[in-house]
Amino acid sequence: MVRASLMLLKDAGRGFCKSLSQILVCPLSKQPLRYSEETNSLISDAIGVSFPIKDGIPCLVPMDGKIIEADDMPKADDAADLSSKNNQ
Amino acid sequence: MALRMATRRLGSKLLPRFSSTSVLHSHATSFGFKEIPEEEKSRMVGNVFSNVASNYDLMNDLMSAGLHRLWKDRLVSKLNPFPGMKHLDVAGGTGDVAFRILETLNSVKSRATQDVLDDNLHEETQIFVCDINPKMLNVGQKRALERGLGEDKSLIWVEGDAEALNYKDNSMDGYTIAFGIRNVTHIEKVLAEAYRVLKRGGRFLCLELSHVEVPVFKELYDYYSFSIIPAVGEAVAGDRDSYRYLVESIRRFPSQETFASMIAAAGFQKVEYENLVGGVVAIHSGLKI
Repeated sequence: MVRASLMLLKDAGRGFCKSLSQILVCPLSKQPLRYSEETNSLISDAIGVSFPIKDGIPCLVPMDGKIIEADDMPKADDAADLSSKNNQ
Repeated sequence: MALRMATRRLGSKLLPRFSSTSVLHSHATSFGFKEIPEEEKSRMVGNVFSNVASNYDLMNDLMSAGLHRLWKDRLVSKLNPFPGMKHLDVAGGTGDVAFRILETLNSVKSRATQDVLDDNLHEETQIFVCDINPKMLNVGQKRALERGLGEDKSLIWVEGDAEALNYKDNSMDGYTIAFGIRNVTHIEKVLAEAYRVLKRGGRFLCLELSHVEVPVFKELYDYYSFSIIPAVGEAVAGDRDSYRYLVESIRRFPSQETFASMIAAAGFQKVEYENLVGGVVAIHSGLKI
């Protein structure tokens, strides 16, 4: 699948390594995540949402997700709507 | 105080003797003894734990006279950790259960003969500490450092929601939730997610404050809970309300039998529970087959 992107996951100072990509998934879509070095976040390509990493801790609560839009400001509300849709 | 244990085993054909929807709805809209809108519960509980985080472990020691340590020891011994396991500790905030699992594995390692295979297995061990509250996780990280586990790559801290977990299906050998299930909004979602992430053969273990029915002891325990604990919370943490919430939420939580039925309803087999200290706490377990 996205083997190349697995190599992108790096040690973020607190043991965050690429083997995690084999277990960690997006909490909304349950699809694999991709580490983005420039934004220091985990991207769920399946639904276009990014989750931040703070102090080396991945924040993978549905409410933490931000919709990736090229022009819009990311809104946490959108991720909450997505989360409630998925929970139905 | 003698540690009395009673184990009840439930047959696979369980007839729910309760209206499951009403129990679940009642849990989702209760904050201790208060009725609240369902969508508010998560935020209100979040506030409680942000408030208690810095004193959490001290208060646990005070409220249980240190017994919580023994209860967690018991939980981890029932888990039977093995090197190379993938384990998920949910609502694991300050790390008590995760540290015990790691220390069990490290002591097993030191007793075993030096073997390259064993070392490789140990490297594959992954213990995920998952909590919805970042303050609790931060406290956990600090405690890991103090315990000499700061550099241990097996310990992985993740902020996550027990009702919408961020782990692949069938990825975990073990799942524990200690003193956490009482605080979630939707118990059935947590159980469903636990079932989803466990591998076949994986074990679900839940340690939670539960119901005491033993006469006289029950009255003493009620007095202790409602009069002493909030006062200690006030004196030590300057927060009576959070500790009153904690005590009330125990009473509102389903009984041992009802909770066991819910676990079975989520698909788990061999559902059992063990009462400790006359039911002050109970350890429920189930197997994904």
